[in-house]
Amino acid sequence: MSDVFLEAKNISKTFVGVKALDNVDLTIGKGEIHCLIGENGSGKSTLIKIIGGVYRADSGTISIDGTELHGTQAIQSIRAGVQIIYQDLSLFPNLTVAENISVNQMLESNQQTVNWKSVRETARRALAEIGEDIDIDERVENLSVAKKQIIAISRALTQNAKLIIMDEATSAITSEEVKHLFSIIMQLKERGIAILFVSHKLSEVFEIAENITIIRDGKLVGVYPKEDLNEEKLTYIMTGRTLKFEPYRYDESLQAETPLLEVKNLSKKGQYRNINFKLQRGEILGVIGLIGSGRTEVVQSIFGLDASDSGSVYIDGTEVEIKNPRDGMRYGIAMLPEDRLTQGLFEAQSIGDNIVITVLKKFLKKAHLLDIRNKRQAEADWVEKLAIKTPTPDNPVNSLSGGNQQRVVLAKWLATDPKVFILDGPTIGIDIGSKHTIHEIIRDLARQGMGIIMISDEAQEILDNCNRVLVMANGQVVREIEDSTTISRDELLDVIAQRQVAGAEA
Amino acid sequence: MKIKQLMRHSETYVLLIVILFSAFVTSVNPAFLTLENLFDLLRSSSGTAILAVGIFMVLLSGGVDVSSTTIAIVGQYISVNVLISTGIDNIFFAFAISIALGLSLGAINAVFVSLFKLPTLIVTLGTSSLYHGAMLEFVGTRAVNVGGLPQSIKDFGSLNVLEVARPDGSTFGLSVFFVILVAVLLLSWFILKYTMIGRGIYAIGGNLEAAKRAGFNTRRIQFFVYMYSGLLAGIMGVMHLSLIRYSNPNYLVGTELGVIAAVVLGGARISGGSGTLTGTMIGVALITILEKNLIMIGLSSYWQQFFVGLVLVMGVSITYLQAKLQKSGRQIIVKEEE
Repeated sequence: MSDVFLEAKNISKTFVGVKALDNVDLTIGKGEIHCLIGENGSGKSTLIKIIGGVYRADSGTISIDGTELHGTQAIQSIRAGVQIIYQDLSLFPNLTVAENISVNQMLESNQQTVNWKSVRETARRALAEIGEDIDIDERVENLSVAKKQIIAISRALTQNAKLIIMDEATSAITSEEVKHLFSIIMQLKERGIAILFVSHKLSEVFEIAENITIIRDGKLVGVYPKEDLNEEKLTYIMTGRTLKFEPYRYDESLQAETPLLEVKNLSKKGQYRNINFKLQRGEILGVIGLIGSGRTEVVQSIFGLDASDSGSVYIDGTEVEIKNPRDGMRYGIAMLPEDRLTQGLFEAQSIGDNIVITVLKKFLKKAHLLDIRNKRQAEADWVEKLAIKTPTPDNPVNSLSGGNQQRVVLAKWLATDPKVFILDGPTIGIDIGSKHTIHEIIRDLARQGMGIIMISDEAQEILDNCNRVLVMANGQVVREIEDSTTISRDELLDVIAQRQVAGAEA
Repeated sequence: MKIKQLMRHSETYVLLIVILFSAFVTSVNPAFLTLENLFDLLRSSSGTAILAVGIFMVLLSGGVDVSSTTIAIVGQYISVNVLISTGIDNIFFAFAISIALGLSLGAINAVFVSLFKLPTLIVTLGTSSLYHGAMLEFVGTRAVNVGGLPQSIKDFGSLNVLEVARPDGSTFGLSVFFVILVAVLLLSWFILKYTMIGRGIYAIGGNLEAAKRAGFNTRRIQFFVYMYSGLLAGIMGVMHLSLIRYSNPNYLVGTELGVIAAVVLGGARISGGSGTLTGTMIGVALITILEKNLIMIGLSSYWQQFFVGLVLVMGVSITYLQAKLQKSGRQIIVKEEE
C-alpha cells in the first residue's frame, strides 16, 4: 500500500469537437490537501466530473487505492470513497437538514422505505463529527450558503468519504466563513480524509494547499508543492502570461471646474443617508463597504433604478432629476449591474442583440423599421473593440465564458456613449486573466475622459484601479480616501470593518 | 404546531376560507350543515379528490399534468364500451380496463417527460389532445346513457358503506367512493412519507440535478409519478361514470385546470418540491363547496368560476407577499436621524 489515494492518468475528453481535457494527470495522497487550479474553461470541472463518474473519459485510467475503476457509474466512485461537493452544493432546498444529510446513505444502502428515526440519527451524528450545531428539522432553503456548505460536507461524511472534492467552495461565502470552512478542512485532514480544493482564488489556494496541480486549456501545466510557488509565479503559470499591476493614475489635466457628477445630501429611508461626493472626468472612484452598507443602493438611485427620497444630483453643474433608468441614460449615465446574468443579459439571445439593445433607436429608419445592416456593423465593431471571443455576434450570449459575457455587458453600455459609468462588481466570478483585461478596458475608458464609479468586494481590486475611494457603512460614507496610494490593503480593510463595529455600538 | 408556523402556510388561509364560507352558507341555508349534504358532497367530490392527488404528485415532482382528466374519460368511455360489447357486466372488469389504460397513457407521458426530457406542460397538453382525438376517432363519439349502462356500474354508484335513516324512514348513506378516496390517500401518504420513491418525488421536485447526482433513479421516479397519476385517473373515470350514470366522451375534458387550481390553492408549489396531501384535500374541499353550494345561497353556479379565480389569485398573492416581506426583513434598517 502506498500513500497515494487517487491516481488519474492520461485523462482525455472531447465534447463535440472541443478537446476539454488532453492527457491530464492528477495524483492525490491520503489525507492530502490538494488544489486544482486553472482559469474558467480550463477543464477543471470536466476533470472532477470524470473522477466522480459523471462523465466517462475518452481515454486514460483512474485508480483509487491502487484499484482501477471501470465503468462510468457515479456510484462506483462513491463506493470507493470519493465525494464531490459541487459549487451549487446539490442540496434539496425543499427538504430538511436531516434528510439532506442522510439521503445519500439511504440510497447507498438500497433501502426501499424510510426510517425517519435513523435519518435524524445519521444527521445528528454527521453534524456532531465536525462539531456543528444546526437545527436538523429546518428546511435547507432557509439556511445561509455557509451553513448549506456544512450540510454538504456532513453529507459527504456519511458516505465514509476518503476524498472530498470541493468545487469553488468559497465563491459565495464571506471571508469569516471561509476561515471556518478551512478549519473544518484541516480537521478532516487530521482524520486522514484527502481534500481536492478546486478554485481560481489564488490567495485561498496558498492558504490551504499542500500541493497544487495547474491546468490550462485542458492540458496539465504542472504539479508543484506550495512552497515552490508564489502568487506571481502561479498567475504566470496559470494564464501563460505575466500580469503587471500598476495602480491607476488619475490624469489631473482632465479636471474641470465643474465636476462631471456631483451628489448632494442624497438620502433614502432605510437604505442610505446624506451621501455627498463629486466625480471628475477621468476619475475612477471606488466605493467599498460590506454587503448591506448601502453602496449598491446609492448607485442604483443615481442611475434611476430605485429613486432617492431627497437630495440632488448634478451633471456638469446642472441639477437633474433621475426617476428611472431612461432618465439616467438620457443624462449619460450607464450602469453595469452586480449580477450580470439576471440583470444585465438576455441569456438566450445573440451576443449582437444584447450589445445593441440599449441603442436600438439609433438604427431606426423611416417608418420605424430597423436598419439591419447598420445594426450588424455596430455589433461587429463592438465585438472587435472589446475582443469578445466568438466566431460571430449571432451566437447566443450563454455560449460565452464569464469574462466574455462581462465584456458583452460592457459593450452594451458603452454603446450608449456614457459620461458616467457605474460598475457594480465588474469582475465577480471572473478568473484572473479576464479580470486583468476588463481592468484594462475600464482604465482606458477613464483615460479617455469617462467618469467611472467602481464597486467591489475586493479591497485589492479597488486599490489597484481607483484613484479615490469612498468607504461606506450603515448607509453612510464613513471615510473618503483622496489618494488610494496612501492606504494599504490591510488599512482599508480595517476602515471597512472598524466602522461597522462602531456603527453597531452606536 | 405553533400558530405562527401555521400562518406561514397558505393552506391555513384556504382552510379558514372554507370554514367561513361554510358558516356563511349554513346561516343562509341550514340544509348545508347536515350529514346528508356532507355525505352527498363526499360522494360527488371523491373522484375529483383522487384526480387531485395524482396531479399533486406530479406537481410535487416538479412537473404538471393537464392530461389526467382526459385519461379519466378515455378510461371511462373505453371500459364502458368494452363491458357493453363483451357482455361482461362486472365493475372490477371496468376498473381493470380503465386502470390499465390509465397506467399505459401515463407511461406514454413519462416517456416524453423522462426519456425525451420535454417540458411537462407541453407534453401533457399534447398527449391529452392526442388521447382524446384518438378515442373519438377509433372508439366513437356516441354517449352511453343510463338505459344502456351495465347494471354493475349503476349498482356501484349507489353502493353505500354506511346507511342512515331519515325521520320518514327512507335512508341515505356514505358512498363507497369515500372509502376509495381514503384508501388512495393512505396509500399516497405512505408512499410519499415512507418510501424512497416518495422521497425521490420530493427530491426531483426540489433539485432534479442534485437528485441525479445523489443516485436517485430519476427516470424510474418520473415513470412512477406519471403512471400513478394515470392510475388514479383510471379509477376516477369509472367512479365518475357510476356517479352520473352517463358516459359522454366529451365530459371531463377541460376541467383539469379547476383541479390544478385546487391543488395549488392547497399550498402545493407550482415549481415543485413542496406541498401536502392535507392541503390538496382542503383545496378540493373549497372548490367543491363553491361548485355545489353557491346555488344554496341563491347564486348562479357561474359564480363558482369567479370565486375560484379570486381565491387562487389572492392565495398566490399572499404567498408571494409573505416571501417578499421575509426578504425585506433581512435588510439592514438604517436608523433615522435623531
